[in-house]
Amino acid sequence: MTDFKSEVIAAGGEGIAACYQCGTCSGGCPTVSAMDFTPRQIIRMVNLGMRDRVLSSKTIWLCASCYQCQVRCPREVKITEVMAALKSMAMKEGYNSSIAKPRAASFYRNFNEIVANLGRQFEPLLLLKTTLGSRESITSKLGYLLKNAPFGITLMKKGKLPFKPEKISGSEEVRKIFENVAKMEAGE
Amino acid sequence: MSYAYYPGCSLEATAKEYDISFRSVFTALGLEFEELEDWSCCGASAAHATSKLLSVALPARDLAKAEAQGKDVVAPCPACYQNLKQAREYVLESEENREKLSKALEGTGLEVKGEVKVRHPLDVLVNDLGLEALAEKVVEPLEGLRVVPYYGCYITRPPGKESFDDVENPTSMDKIIQALGATVLPFTRKTRCCGGPVMMSNEATMHKLSYEIIKEAKEAGAQAIIVACPMCHMTLDAKQPEIEKHYGEELDIPVLYITQLIGLALGLDPYAELGLDKNIVSTEKIVQKYSKKMVKAKA
Ligand code: SF4
Ligand code: SF4
Repeated sequence: MTDFKSEVIAAGGEGIAACYQCGTCSGGCPTVSAMDFTPRQIIRMVNLGMRDRVLSSKTIWLCASCYQCQVRCPREVKITEVMAALKSMAMKEGYNSSIAKPRAASFYRNFNEIVANLGRQFEPLLLLKTTLGSRESITSKLGYLLKNAPFGITLMKKGKLPFKPEKISGSEEVRKIFENVAKMEAGE
Repeated sequence: MSYAYYPGCSLEATAKEYDISFRSVFTALGLEFEELEDWSCCGASAAHATSKLLSVALPARDLAKAEAQGKDVVAPCPACYQNLKQAREYVLESEENREKLSKALEGTGLEVKGEVKVRHPLDVLVNDLGLEALAEKVVEPLEGLRVVPYYGCYITRPPGKESFDDVENPTSMDKIIQALGATVLPFTRKTRCCGGPVMMSNEATMHKLSYEIIKEAKEAGAQAIIVACPMCHMTLDAKQPEIEKHYGEELDIPVLYITQLIGLALGLDPYAELGLDKNIVSTEKIVQKYSKKMVKAKA
């Protein structure tokens, strides 16, 4: 296996070695207060090759991909791209431990699955599948669904939740794109 | 010039009023468009978190369709706008990227050259139509209405070669609001993330970020928050009752899409043409005061 830092660089994190630890990224990060490591720390830890601590951190799932850090970094480190690459690696390597937020990974997985099938997203199904498919206790799953039920009803009353999914006529093309990309990435 | 309209998944569902008002306002302003036929999902944040290649290959299908018609794409959802825009930038960047992408599209018969531009409605309104032309069409000036424009993340970030507004202090929406006769109040959280992307994984963080935005808007004396993003609208409007409960505080500030606000000033029907009855926080006060159609209907 290649080293962690090179993998992250290859996955879109070119330039991370230029980080001089100024902390501008952490200073502007909207979700930093809920993170276990700040964005600055994560970049440092990647540079030091700390695979396990990074991929099991809460931070990567708390990153909202808002790009605030990236546009302000004086060293042009693509921090948001690094965070996205880390999420992808953590999902592939099964790092979806109880420390990290399990629902986030389930959201991404199910989002892709629905789009691969229909060609478009269908929000009610996504909410349901995300909750049921996440690694949390049954009580926690049901609790979340119950808590959100009135919200779903409100949206429905406003005519903002479609009842049945719509499959586009080119859905096979979309599925093909998913398959091609998966093959290309496995071959690399 | 006609645009290829890319609604995206949200505008078909939770952001229905954005779709309705976009169509009505563009039509009223004489901006021609046609919905991109059989469009597919841009991949949103899920493709981005899965692989860089997937995040450009999914929107590439839509770009290919727009290219076949030779039309620029207009995408009101900033997340879709970014994904489509980044796919175009990826194609234009290098021969290596083009080869990779055509491999990802193998077997679909699709081809992308990066020939058409990806535009946000704010860009089209300010730069293609122009503020003067917009102001000329106003029949119901929104005088006395004090609002804050909230841009969120993806309208300006990450900036590309073709970005149309300032990344730290965007003003396109400010100018549009002023052209309608309303007052824009100073607002520091214009581009601060609302927490939408962590809504499902960390509700408390989303509540906090959206609460701070709403709170500042209220303290500034705003009667409404104006947005141009379905996710921002979801957190600030649809989740506002939940945020009120969480903080034990009444907030009650309407959140309007910019296209809904423009439509009011153009004298369009507040419900049939602008979907102002679909917002979760009531927009009644604003509709009553500024919609001529409404007054007529009542009389
Ligand atoms: S802003 Fe850039 S240089 Fe500064 S700590 Fe963050 S990544 Fe490093
Ligand atoms: S992109 Fe992620 S890490 Fe960077 S500022 Fe936004 S939430 Fe924080």
